[in-house]
Amino acid sequence: MPKKYHVHTKATPLDLDYIFKFQIVRRENCINCGKCTKVCIYEAHKRRIDDPRKMADPNTVVCRNCFRCIQECPRGALEKSLNKDFLNIGGAYWKADMLLTLWKQAEDGKVPVTGAGYRGPFTGTGFDSMWTDMSEIVRPTRDGIHGREYISTSVELGRKLNHLEFGENGRLLSTIPRTIDLPLPVIFDLPEAGLSLNVKAAMIKAAVDLGTCIVLPVAQITADFERSLDNLIPCLAPGEIERHQALLEKARMVAIDYSGERPEDFPAVKARIENVCEALTILRLPAVEAMEQTVSKLAHSGAEIIHVIADYRGRELGGSSTSTPRLIKDIIRTVHMRLVADRIRDEVTIIASGGIAMAEHVPKAMLCGADLTAVDLPLLIAIGARLYEQPERFLVFPPGLEGISVEILTQRIVNLMGAWHSQLLEVMGAMGIREARRLRGETGRAIFFEEIDNDTFGKLFRKKEVASI
Amino acid sequence: MIPPTVKIRRMSSRFKHQVPKYKVIRSEACINCGTCAKTCPYGVHERVDGHNRVRPPIDYKCIGFECQSGDFYCVAKCPRQALSLAPNPMYETLGDPRWTADMITGTWIMAETGYPPKRTDLEYNLGNSGGGFDKLRFKFPANPAKVDKAKISTAIPLNRRNDGREDVVISTPVYGGGMSFGSVSLPTMVSRARNATHWNSFTCTGEGGYPEALKPYDDHVITQVATGLFGVREETIQRVKIIEFKYAQGAKPGLGGHLLGEKNTASVARMREAVQGSSLFSPFPFHSVYSIEDHKKHIDWIKEMNPRALVSVKVSTPNDVDMVAVGSYYAGAHIIHIDGGYGGTGAAPDIAKKNIAMPIEYAITKVHNFLKEEGVRDAMTLIASGGIRTAHDLAKAICLGADGAVIGTAEMVALECVRCGNCESGRGCARGIASTDSELADLFDEEWATQRLVNLYHAWNVQLVEILQQCGLSSVKELVGRTDLLEHVDYSR
Repeated sequence: MPKKYHVHTKATPLDLDYIFKFQIVRRENCINCGKCTKVCIYEAHKRRIDDPRKMADPNTVVCRNCFRCIQECPRGALEKSLNKDFLNIGGAYWKADMLLTLWKQAEDGKVPVTGAGYRGPFTGTGFDSMWTDMSEIVRPTRDGIHGREYISTSVELGRKLNHLEFGENGRLLSTIPRTIDLPLPVIFDLPEAGLSLNVKAAMIKAAVDLGTCIVLPVAQITADFERSLDNLIPCLAPGEIERHQALLEKARMVAIDYSGERPEDFPAVKARIENVCEALTILRLPAVEAMEQTVSKLAHSGAEIIHVIADYRGRELGGSSTSTPRLIKDIIRTVHMRLVADRIRDEVTIIASGGIAMAEHVPKAMLCGADLTAVDLPLLIAIGARLYEQPERFLVFPPGLEGISVEILTQRIVNLMGAWHSQLLEVMGAMGIREARRLRGETGRAIFFEEIDNDTFGKLFRKKEVASI
Repeated sequence: MIPPTVKIRRMSSRFKHQVPKYKVIRSEACINCGTCAKTCPYGVHERVDGHNRVRPPIDYKCIGFECQSGDFYCVAKCPRQALSLAPNPMYETLGDPRWTADMITGTWIMAETGYPPKRTDLEYNLGNSGGGFDKLRFKFPANPAKVDKAKISTAIPLNRRNDGREDVVISTPVYGGGMSFGSVSLPTMVSRARNATHWNSFTCTGEGGYPEALKPYDDHVITQVATGLFGVREETIQRVKIIEFKYAQGAKPGLGGHLLGEKNTASVARMREAVQGSSLFSPFPFHSVYSIEDHKKHIDWIKEMNPRALVSVKVSTPNDVDMVAVGSYYAGAHIIHIDGGYGGTGAAPDIAKKNIAMPIEYAITKVHNFLKEEGVRDAMTLIASGGIRTAHDLAKAICLGADGAVIGTAEMVALECVRCGNCESGRGCARGIASTDSELADLFDEEWATQRLVNLYHAWNVQLVEILQQCGLSSVKELVGRTDLLEHVDYSR
């Protein structure tokens, strides 16, 4: 049994003005009786230090929405509402609550656990329109994340042969292609442009600590970072291959921006890469209409790893005005099914990215058919960034970010990924799947809303209407 | 038929204020004439004799815009147009799509009065989740058979196996779900047991032992045997009429129970024979059960230990829940209790609550049909839980194929839970329901809590009887599987 993969999390708060959800205002008819101080178990209400006869303004950052102060104030002098900042952050995809929980996970590295049942909508779009399955009784030797059993979250990148060929005397003729093992089905995608050096350094260090990789534009890989080259994936255009020979010779993987290139040109590009280095090639492809055909052609022409990239809300790029853009969940499913139909699925690794925003998106993307995922925005949210979707995609970094140490920023990214890793174990444990590799395309362990709703309510209610006509 | 032990008594909120839906604003133009105080029959406005000024409006007493049609609408009556009415921003901080603010307020009114709210501005029967029960509507027959309300029976038998064990019948098709000592306070547990006794129904100890304070209510307590076996003793198994095996819980299927360290106080630790302050994670699954044969062995073991008791099997809702249900039948269980993914919990990972296993609405249909196909439906009692929030949810669940339901969150809301979701950590519940903290667990007495629960069950029973009458049915048993009495807003219209 391989050594158990462990992410070392550690509480790492940032001294920032966090956005909070609930705003409490004390009205003028407060009589400073101090009842709120007695009833609040979170210490949101205190007397003023300079003048203890009066109540201080409520510290609503700590408010957990229990309503005790509201309901027990003898004068009804306290008013609560949703904080304006909270209402403004995020958007339809990156919901404000999602940002709060990402910040929390980056701070403590723990699986978010709360009381009371699920509070959200019944179903939604994309990843919200599926559930993961579980096994009830029949399965020995596991205790979820608290248990004795080893659940492996590692995945392999690279080409696998469809079959082996043997010559006379049983001699193996096939050359087994090299693959790379990552302990976590997550890589870090190209960082935002214009990040300060400490942030970039923290992302690289976090990738190293976690044993995963980060895609970096080749121009940004300075001599400082070359020590971490095992965990760096230089990203470049096909025309730049020869120019960066020295770097590529030392890299394990190289990412080629293949947007705008033709699939039939790939064998030539591959030959040029093989000419300068032994790195595995990741082809970066924007998720556009009918991309499954491009993926299929590339896989047939020998592509090893294909990275399907949707927009930051997990939608198809450059969608036509006539059709609604597909969502990453459905794009992955289509790509996967196309490769299965072509009988070439095992020969190519699919990375999915765009809209991977929560821990649950990792196993869900894999159930839909991705081998692994790539994340970008959650890493920035981990270091305290605020994301706005309206009026357009906009990131606000915490003030003084440049001055925060690389260690602290690294730990926050590690914490977030540690929390995601634990949550992946929870979901896999419940499913009874012990190897992350077996999640891929395992739709038998998923429940899709459209299918089950139609199978249940569609059958019950639609037919009857037709019959009665 | 309502048991004679059920007495309805008004039981007001234990707090001074309720959460207001509306905001009554009095502007500077007010001349303190007191017209509003004389006009409003609900007591929103108060003018105390000898005071110069009218008191600030008491928002939560206001019935809102429906007041406009009455001749006591303060906004219209004010001679200086100093009053205005608006939705209260505070209301947005209460509830969520599954349990809307209206639903919580409605449940509070039921627990207070014992009847469904008379206010017409509260949508308390439907949530805003956009799926499942919230998309199902009743389709009442145009000319139902005439039935006398007083003769409608809401009782259901729990033992259908005809195996010589006790014929347990509950008077209303609802009982209380498992909540352990530790996850909730002792007064909460005792009040639930007292309510179950009044209603001739049941409540469940959950996984965490059987407090002695529940002993007087033994005949209405289900004791749970869950994977951690916390507090399970032969003696407690022998004192009850129903024993429940908890294989999994809907909110955290595939994971064991969670009791975080801070809530594991001295008394909880003693009951669970555990170390105070350490987090208690129950394992998953039962490590003595890896097959249906093992499952039968488990059930046989309990049946041997208590020869009169019924056995209930609580499972969550994976794709193969129908197979599990049939397996449980063949293993000898009397009750198959399926707990849907959106069910309640005292502590569970968010990722599990949202994502693992299917909502109860699908599972009921699946299990009901499969048991029918296997020809064993009539020998099993099918109980649904995990997202049964209202009397309408209950009736819909029965139409889909359940015999009855188990509720948990609704009972907590009756005790004035606001669903803030902080039950899991620290001192636990700020409102004293789900806490074993010495100070917080003492926030209400059992008298108050029992009556609130009795009232809630009564209001649900009133609604259920009304639905049965509108369907022309004289017993809730006739409602089981009547999907023809339902329609779905996506498919039927």
